[in-house]
Amino acid sequence: MSLLADQLQAYAQEKRLSEQTLRRWQSWSAEDQAALLTMVQELQLGENHLRDFCDWLDDIIARDGGTVSALLLRSELQHPLGLKLSRNDKVKAVKAALRKLRYPRLSQLEEDLRAAIKALDLGERVRVSFPPALEGDEMTVEIKARNVRELERSLLQMQRKLRDGSMQHVFALLDEV
Amino acid sequence: MKLYLPHEICIEQGEENAPVVQRALARLPHVPVRIVEKGWEHEDRSLLSADAFATGKRRLFFTRQRSTFLEHCPAGTSGLVCCNYLVVSLISNCPMDCSYCFLQEYLINNPTLKVYTNVGDLLQEVGKALDRQPTRHFRIGTGELSDSLALDPLLGFSADLVPFFASRSNALLELKTKSHCVDELLKLDPKERVVVSWSMTPSAIIDTEEHGTATFAERLSAAQRVQAAGYKLGFHFDPLIEYPDWEYGYRETIAQIFSALDPTRVAWVSLGSLRMTPALRTTVRRRFPRTRILAGEQVACADGKWRTFQALRVKMYRSILGWLREAAPQVPHYMCMETAAVWDKVFGYTPRADKDVAQMLTGGKG
Repeated sequence: MSLLADQLQAYAQEKRLSEQTLRRWQSWSAEDQAALLTMVQELQLGENHLRDFCDWLDDIIARDGGTVSALLLRSELQHPLGLKLSRNDKVKAVKAALRKLRYPRLSQLEEDLRAAIKALDLGERVRVSFPPALEGDEMTVEIKARNVRELERSLLQMQRKLRDGSMQHVFALLDEV
Repeated sequence: MKLYLPHEICIEQGEENAPVVQRALARLPHVPVRIVEKGWEHEDRSLLSADAFATGKRRLFFTRQRSTFLEHCPAGTSGLVCCNYLVVSLISNCPMDCSYCFLQEYLINNPTLKVYTNVGDLLQEVGKALDRQPTRHFRIGTGELSDSLALDPLLGFSADLVPFFASRSNALLELKTKSHCVDELLKLDPKERVVVSWSMTPSAIIDTEEHGTATFAERLSAAQRVQAAGYKLGFHFDPLIEYPDWEYGYRETIAQIFSALDPTRVAWVSLGSLRMTPALRTTVRRRFPRTRILAGEQVACADGKWRTFQALRVKMYRSILGWLREAAPQVPHYMCMETAAVWDKVFGYTPRADKDVAQMLTGGKG
């Protein structure tokens, strides 16, 4: 067996990867296998994260062409690796960057919504959230208040945003791609 | 499209003389035949192969349906708008092999391509159901667990089904297909009681994802022939697949269909987003490693199935509905397996009850 094959086997044993995930990884070109190995060793990915990585990488390649090794070298994915972060935060950051590449329009919409909510300037006591992956059309508004004055302040600000059309803009965004 | 040719025919002991078996044997004289015992398929070791689903398709097994035939369409999942459709299955599994097909998961433990010999029992069961509710208008389809027509040149089931439904005033039979196998239908008179419907996708998807099916041109030509023979038509843009050129692809497909056919003889058109359980996605990745259908922006929905994320899905529905209304304004349209919220965004209203959709499709008698 080659050195690369040994390294993959060793990593799979260490992380108790499933046969299926290992076989899938091994089915890639040697260059792609090696590129992913470098990244997963750095991030110490286990079965579930690794499967997500493999799914998303395969999907991006199927859609855009190219190779896994070239994709993993993209600055969006390399940048978080160089940051001084905990391993968990690095995994989160790289995964978020990869998700952005996998779901470009959904990610853009999520970013637009975040920006629109921020622009509403509803204050720290009001939290606006959306269903996961925007699957659904309901917005959840959560207001925290310690007294009537705080509640009134939040409601008045919301009322202003309803009247000037900024709230409508948020709902409209939910429908836009 | 190549006509299906099994590697072997297996006949359950006692079913050798069933008319459908005799028809198939006469039309496949060179295929090896084996008589097997009841329940044989559960011990078939060839189905232990890596791709049991594909292996199961290569053998044609004649057996009896020992359960009931008539069932509610499984698309009527709670939380989704349903159209009160009923299904009967004379065949289980399909000679075609679409990469996205739900049967890959649904029949994982029972993939043998089975043909039920007791069509008489089916007709009796359906007849009783229609008689029990004479004022209800039924829509019944055979295309749930198999293609309705792909095996018709071998099995000739249409000769049993079409005359039966032609004689019933409170039911429509829908034969749903991706084939061009309509010759048997042309010999029969449907008397307005049979809708032959095609699942339609742009050629780019047919050619890469719908393995073993008829080309778009073959489907369209078959649709022209059955329409000329007096059948109503239906079209299903289901699954709708998002790919880089989807707007051009679907627009062209719709334009070609309605410029070739008389829209006033089209009973309905449905829309439905590609939807897959996580297990089906895993199977598809394994069986079709080069497929591009998983690369769309699909996310997990409330019913556990993955669909194109809602905003993009709604955009697709609205666009396609717009092109359909432009090409064939009088044709009823509906969506399959969608929430009331998506209905509202696309159609501007939410059906009050499942009956509303059924009534729209049957001219107010659902």
